[in-house]
Amino acid sequence: MLDQAFEALKTYDWGAERNVLSPINEAVLSTRNDSAARNELESRLVAALKTPISRDAKDFVCRKLMQIGTAASVPTLAELLSVKDLSHMARFALERIPAQEAAQAIRDALPKISGPLKLGMISSLGQRKDSASVPLLAKLLMDTDPAIVRSAALALGSIRTSESAKALSNARPTSPETQLAVLDASLSCAEALLAAGNKGDAIAIYKSLLGDGQPKQVRLAATRGILACAGR
Amino acid sequence: MGTKTRREFIQTASATLAAPYVITSTALGNDERAPASDRIVMAGIGIGNMGKGDQGAFLGRKDVQYVAVCDVRNSVRETAKRKVDERYGNTDCKVYNDFRELLARTDIDAVHVATPDHWHAILVIEACRHGKDVYCQKPETLTLREGPLMIQAARRYGRVVSGGSQRVLEDYKGIVNQCWGGELGKIKSINVNVDPLSQLCNLPAEQLSPDIDWDLWLGPAAWAPYNAARCSGSFSTAGNSWRSYIDYSGGGMTDWGAHHFGGATFAVDVRELQPDEVTFHDEKEGKFLSLRYPNGIVITHNRPKTGNLAVEGTPGESREPKPVPTYKGEGGIYGDFIDCVKTREKPFRDIELAVNTIAVSHLCIIAYQLQRSLKWDSAKQEFPGDAEANRLLDRARREPWQV
Repeated sequence: MLDQAFEALKTYDWGAERNVLSPINEAVLSTRNDSAARNELESRLVAALKTPISRDAKDFVCRKLMQIGTAASVPTLAELLSVKDLSHMARFALERIPAQEAAQAIRDALPKISGPLKLGMISSLGQRKDSASVPLLAKLLMDTDPAIVRSAALALGSIRTSESAKALSNARPTSPETQLAVLDASLSCAEALLAAGNKGDAIAIYKSLLGDGQPKQVRLAATRGILACAGR
Repeated sequence: MGTKTRREFIQTASATLAAPYVITSTALGNDERAPASDRIVMAGIGIGNMGKGDQGAFLGRKDVQYVAVCDVRNSVRETAKRKVDERYGNTDCKVYNDFRELLARTDIDAVHVATPDHWHAILVIEACRHGKDVYCQKPETLTLREGPLMIQAARRYGRVVSGGSQRVLEDYKGIVNQCWGGELGKIKSINVNVDPLSQLCNLPAEQLSPDIDWDLWLGPAAWAPYNAARCSGSFSTAGNSWRSYIDYSGGGMTDWGAHHFGGATFAVDVRELQPDEVTFHDEKEGKFLSLRYPNGIVITHNRPKTGNLAVEGTPGESREPKPVPTYKGEGGIYGDFIDCVKTREKPFRDIELAVNTIAVSHLCIIAYQLQRSLKWDSAKQEFPGDAEANRLLDRARREPWQV
C-alpha cells in the first residue's frame, strides 16, 4: 500500500483523490516506535522532494516532514528555501524540525535571499526562538527595506533575550509600522527580562518607551511595565 | 489671508477658538445616538457571514459610531458599506481591502474580527499593537501557540479583547445553573460530543473570481489555487467550506467545539484552567478522549453512549450555590464587549478564557491525530518531553505574514 501511495505521489495534483496518499499518513503513525522504518519513510519522502512532482505533491511531502523530519531532511528542504513557490512549505517543515541543523540551514540561507521569502525565513527563526540568529537579525534592523526591519524586530521580540533587547535599542525605525514593531518587540523583551528577575534591564527598557513621541498604547504598556517591576 | 493656506488658517483658527462655532446634533446626541464623546468608534474586518451579524449588532447600538469595513471580497465590502451608510444617512463609511490600512487609523477605538480562523491571531495581535480593543469571532485560534500570543498582546497593551461565542452563556443555561447552583453536588465530569476534524484540502483550481483578493484571503496559510468551495463561508464542516479544511480551521472540533467546550468548561467552572492530561481511549464502542484538569475534573470527548454536556455529579449531595457570572451592560455578548470597552473591565469571554476553551479543542485534535495520550504543561504551553506532539503546537506562516 505504501509503495502504491508513493507511486500515486508522482501524479498527485490539485483535484486528485486525496485518499491515495493515506498510506503515507498511516506510516507516519505506524513507524513511531520503529526507527529503521521511520528513517526509511523519511528517506523516501526526501527522495520524492527531489523529483519533478507537482507543487501540491511537494506541499504534502513537506507536511509529512514537518511531523517526522530529522537533520537528514534538512539539506533537501534548505535547497527549497530560495524557490518562490516552495519556500514556505520548506519552512513549514524546517520551522518545526527540532534538530539544530534546521535553524542553521535557515540562518545560512538568509544572506543569500531577498524579498518576501526573506521575511518568511526571519519569521521562522523568531518562531524557533533561535537565539543564535540574534546577531544576524540585529544587522537586519539596519536594512533599508522597512519590511525587513519590521520582520527582524518581531523575530527579536519572539526570541526575547537580553541580547535581543540590546539589538532593538539600537534600531532607528523610519516608518510608523516599523516603529510599532520595534516598540512591541522591546516590550516583549522587557516582559521576559522581568519574568526572569532582571528588573533593572526591564525598567530601563520601559523608561525608554515613555516619551511623548511614543504612541499612546506604548506609553500605557510601558507604564504598566514599570508598575509591574515595582510589584504593583 | 496673506501667505497662509486655507488649511493652515483653519488649523490656527480651530486651535484659537474655545469651542466649535456650531455644535451639531450628531455630536450632542439624541434619542437615537449617544453624544459623540460617549460613542465607541468601530470598524469590522471580515464581514461576510458571521461578520455580517456582528456588524449588524454593533451598528444597531447608540453608543457605537461605525466608520469602516474591511474585507477581501469587493461585493462583501460594498454591501457592508451600504448598510452603514443607510444607518447613518450619509456616505461616510470607508472601505478597505487591506486590514493594515484600517488598523493604521488612529480614530478607531475597536474592531470586530470575523475572518476565517487562520487570520484571527495576526489580526488580534496587530489590532492590540495599534491600540484597538477587539471582539474576535470564535474559534479564536488555529494553533495552540497562537493563544498565549493573543493574550500577551491584549495584556501588554491593556486592551479589551473578547472572544465570540454567545452560546457559552446563552445556550447551556440549564446545565450551568444546575452545576453552579450546587444541585449536582461535586462535579466529576462532563461530556462533549462534537465532530469532525478538518481535513487537508485538495480541491482543483477554478477560474479566479475577480471579486476576491485571493492572496490576501490565503494570507498566512499555504498557497493553494482558488476554488469557491475552499473559501466558502458556509457553516458546513464536512466539506466545501473553509471550516472543513486544516489550513483554515480545526473543523467542527473547533468551530462547534468553541461553543460546546465553552459551555462545558463554564458549567464545571474550569474556564480559567487548561487540562494537564489527555487520555486516548480506543475501545470496542469507539475512540474517545478524556481530559483531566489539575483540580481533578474531567471533560470527555465523544464518550460512547453519553449525551452532549451530560454531567456526572454526586447524586444526593448538594453544594453551596455560587453566583453565575454573566454579561455586563445591555445587548448580550456585544453589549458586554462595548460595556467593557468603556469601563476597561474584562469581558465575559475575555480572550484568556476563550483561549482556554479552544485549547481543549486543539488538544483533542492532536491526540486524535497522534492516536495516543498526551501530557500538557499549561504553564509552559508544551507537551513535556514529547517532541512529536510539540511539532504540532504551531505551523509556519506564509510570507510575509508573521506574529
